[in-house]
Amino acid sequence: MRKNRRLPWRDAWFIWFFLGVVMLNYPFLSIFNKDILIFDIPLMLLYFFIGWPVSILVIYLFSIYLGRKGQVDTTAENGTERTG
Amino acid sequence: MIPVAVVTIVSLLYFGLLFAVAYYADWRKQQGRSLVDNPTVYTLSLAIYCTSWTYYGSVGRAASTGIDFLAIYLGPTLIAFSWWFLLRKIVRVSKEQKIVSIADFISSRYGQSAKLGAVVTIFAVLGIMPYIALQLKAVARTFDLLSFPLDSVGAAFHTLPNTDLNFDTAFAVTLILSLFGVLFGARTLDASERHEGLVAAIALESLVKVVAFVTVGLFVTYGIFDGFGDIFRSFVETFPERRDLLRLDTPGNSYIHWFSMTFIAMMAVMFLPRQFHVMVIENCREEHIRKAMWGFPAYLFVINLFVIPIAFGGLLHFDGDTRLADYFVLTMPLQQGHAWLALFVFIGGFSAAAGMVMISSVALATMILNHLIMPVILKVNPGSRSLSGLLINLKRLAIFTVIFLGYLYYRLLGETAALVNIGLISFVAASQFAPALIGGLYWRRATRRGAMVGLIAGFVLWFYTLIVPSFVQSGWLPGNLVEQGLFGLALLKPTALFGLAGFDIWSHALFWTMFGNIGSFVALSLVTEPDTDENRQVGKFVDVYQKREEPTQKTRISRAPSIVEFVELMAKFIGEKQAHAAIAGYVGEREINAHGSLSEQEVPKLKHFTELTLAGSVGSAPARIIVENYLAARGSHMEDVFDIFGSVSISRSASREQLGVLYETARVIASGNDLQLILDEILQLFTDQFKFDLCVIRILDEERQTLTVRSHHGMTSEHFGESERNLSMETFIGEAFLTNQIAVVNDSDFINKPKTKEIIHREGILSFAHAPITIEGESIGVLSAFSRSAKGIFTEEFTELFKSLAGLVGIAWRNAEQTNRLITAREQQRELAIAKDIQLGLLPSRIPAVPNVSLAGICLPAKDVGGDYYDILLHDNGRLDLVVADVSGHNIGAALIMAETRSMLRSRSQIDIRPVQLLAELNQVLYEDLTRAELFITMFYVQYEPSSGRALYASAGHSPPVLYRAASKDCILLDAEGLIIGVKRDFPYEGQQISLDTGDVLLLYTDGIIEASNDKGEFFGEQRLMGLVMENHRLGAQEMIEVIIQQVRLFSGHHHFQDDVSLVVMQIETPETAI
Repeated sequence: MRKNRRLPWRDAWFIWFFLGVVMLNYPFLSIFNKDILIFDIPLMLLYFFIGWPVSILVIYLFSIYLGRKGQVDTTAENGTERTG
Repeated sequence: MIPVAVVTIVSLLYFGLLFAVAYYADWRKQQGRSLVDNPTVYTLSLAIYCTSWTYYGSVGRAASTGIDFLAIYLGPTLIAFSWWFLLRKIVRVSKEQKIVSIADFISSRYGQSAKLGAVVTIFAVLGIMPYIALQLKAVARTFDLLSFPLDSVGAAFHTLPNTDLNFDTAFAVTLILSLFGVLFGARTLDASERHEGLVAAIALESLVKVVAFVTVGLFVTYGIFDGFGDIFRSFVETFPERRDLLRLDTPGNSYIHWFSMTFIAMMAVMFLPRQFHVMVIENCREEHIRKAMWGFPAYLFVINLFVIPIAFGGLLHFDGDTRLADYFVLTMPLQQGHAWLALFVFIGGFSAAAGMVMISSVALATMILNHLIMPVILKVNPGSRSLSGLLINLKRLAIFTVIFLGYLYYRLLGETAALVNIGLISFVAASQFAPALIGGLYWRRATRRGAMVGLIAGFVLWFYTLIVPSFVQSGWLPGNLVEQGLFGLALLKPTALFGLAGFDIWSHALFWTMFGNIGSFVALSLVTEPDTDENRQVGKFVDVYQKREEPTQKTRISRAPSIVEFVELMAKFIGEKQAHAAIAGYVGEREINAHGSLSEQEVPKLKHFTELTLAGSVGSAPARIIVENYLAARGSHMEDVFDIFGSVSISRSASREQLGVLYETARVIASGNDLQLILDEILQLFTDQFKFDLCVIRILDEERQTLTVRSHHGMTSEHFGESERNLSMETFIGEAFLTNQIAVVNDSDFINKPKTKEIIHREGILSFAHAPITIEGESIGVLSAFSRSAKGIFTEEFTELFKSLAGLVGIAWRNAEQTNRLITAREQQRELAIAKDIQLGLLPSRIPAVPNVSLAGICLPAKDVGGDYYDILLHDNGRLDLVVADVSGHNIGAALIMAETRSMLRSRSQIDIRPVQLLAELNQVLYEDLTRAELFITMFYVQYEPSSGRALYASAGHSPPVLYRAASKDCILLDAEGLIIGVKRDFPYEGQQISLDTGDVLLLYTDGIIEASNDKGEFFGEQRLMGLVMENHRLGAQEMIEVIIQQVRLFSGHHHFQDDVSLVVMQIETPETAI
């Protein structure tokens, strides 16, 4: 109903993408680029191997949203009022 | 070591399995239950990204240079965010345009440019060659590792056990992979661009390689070591000097290098020909992208999870020796005595390499066939024989060629470079396609020249900054080229071009290639204008999500091929079976006209369909060339339809233009001008507006039953001389009239009516149309328009307009007819008024006063004009003449005759003449005039001499007057024989005489009285009249007339009489009453 208050998910991918680019580059990376082991794992690797699944999760949620949106759009096309 | 035979047999068995899966998938597809139409299979097929480079090379890279290899897999994860928008758009476009390769995509976007397709193909082959070499190298090396002593690994030739045969593993692998490439990718020539069997095999391979890699990862991490922590802890303790491998921003791993690797990987995962092939061309549904968006990064994550543990475990295991780091995955289980695990790992690696080689070779072979070979074939081939057999063999040959080029590269350069480096060269090459492709997808302004120059610039720089250094490294080129630059110019150093130093070779190459590529692409796109072909394509790419209206047909095909001919053309390239199946699907939805062929408007659509069908097999640019060459060869060609609506574009504004013309025509019609003027003006308007050379309006001449020219514009005298048309089907005009349907001939070369043909050709007419002019659905004529300058003027749209215009001509004609009728009616009315005036003027203006005789007369004309006449003439000798006459006819002619009669009567009655003579004379004199005017007169004439009371009378066929005899108190009818005046020239009338006494009443009347009828159809009749006279004989003459008129009105029930009514009453009074 109050369309303009809905999170513009459609364009959110770009925000995530941009965030990903930032988090995968200097200077952000330099935060983790330290010669220390945490739980016997190098910090840099730990960052990558935790950040990576998190970003996959984000894409997963995004794809779930896309799936739902597809269904909502279909019902909207069928004449049901969209109540997003 | 595992015996060669075992490795070979297991490998072949594995390939047998893959082939079975492929065959099963193809079978399932034929059954309509696709195995591949599944998001998981799609996701797994994308994992072809992980080749032997990932499988072996990542470990080697991690062991030697550290964690920068991760960028190759993090990049794709990042770009996956955009897939629902970027990849889906590419997929949508490709499906709509039946794109078969990345070269096809780029060339299609830029006006189906064959040259651009060829350029992309050449660069793709050059760019991917090292990558294929890498796979061959990996398989050969790992085969050697498994089967031969470690020290002989990498040797070019091995001597097979128990034989003297020299065995080149790489060559054997090349041969086997080529064979499988052909078997999977070019078994049959398929009209569809998709290969489900191949994709199913690839998906299985992806599954095998990830399972194998994870297995060996688990084996190393938990079998040899005690988990991740153990490996890292041991590594840091054992090789403290190599701790840099765990970090970025080290001498070999700058942040810029990291960024470049990420960027290159992002581009490569989309635009490597094999990636483009599985992602776009082999995509079954856009919906699958949604799962692949996270599934593919997840796959990458899993397969990379154990890379560093294996790499560091290997370093720990082999005392830090990195020479064979690329093959730690294989050597470690082998060293640990787990030969079967090693064999499984080898199969996994083989899967990774084979899948890549097969898809790459098929994708590249398709491109080579479509963009390099096909244009040549089409030029050389006379076009008579079927090409489908030749094409499939050429495709097979191309697959062999691509893989053997890879082998050649490997033999010449492969040994000197690490796996990762070879792979990255290909990645940078693939990135060169990005600007033209993404730019073309989102930027309308992008032009073909921009794309072409951008690509060439990118590839020249790629060659110079990456290939040249690798040639130098392998000793092919002198080392000073890199150290001192080309021609000794430091600015031209391949690794520090224009003095750009301090970067790693990849960042350096990426910068310059992208600078040259994007810079040229943008700059040239801005300064060059897209041509018609590009403009036609741009919307199909940029606005693919928008519902596009098919452009109104602006072209037509002269000498258009029939459906059968189009099928034959398709069959030449895709085989008869496929061609027939395609056309059956197409024609099923179309309307076919009475002649069993497609309408003129449908032919260009069929051409487009043929192009699309062929595009599925040979790519869009070649398909276009094929169809156009074919048309050219048979003398057909596409013609621009003459833009009938002038400079205004035909689509949206056409309706406004149409309305404009219709409005103008309507305005001419409403002008109220003379019909001829209106028709002339309408034709003038058509000629001016549509640049017709000739416009004609023919209207049916009902008497002669021919269509005769009523108005024309531009007709030659010779043409005009034979312009009449019979109502027959022999001419198009006759046909249009008789069938009441528009007849259109858009190409006068094809006319089946001999008579029309002769005239049309003599007059140099190229196209024409005849629309029936109708009034309330009935044809009254034909509107024709002819053009000497263009064929195909009469598009569907214009035909509709033309029909409307003919309708307007019909309205003009009807209006004119109505006006004419109105004028005639008015004229008649005026004539009647004149006649009435004359008639009334003839009646006596006053009744003469005669002693002892009461006189009265009346004439009541019926609605319009009457032919009655009465007169009362008192002569000097006291004689009183009464006359009543009725002239047939109700017009001026009748009135004039009456006037003539009156003049004659008045002049002749002056003398002493008897009624009978008078009638005879009248008859004689008037006979001629009456006969000519087809009129006649009835008349009753009475002469009364008051002095004697004698009355002489004669009748010319008139109603007998009523005489009331006061003496006998009854009525008689005065009759006398006599023919109507004007029937026979000399007729002896009968004269009668009677003596009138006081109280007698004589009533003369015309037949309007006795023939007045009531609702029952009864006449008033003589009896009623006589009764009235008897009843009212005492009344005065005037009163008696009034009573009679009133009674007749009462009887008939109408105020108006149907016919004229005239009465003359003469009452003989007694001398007393006169006083």
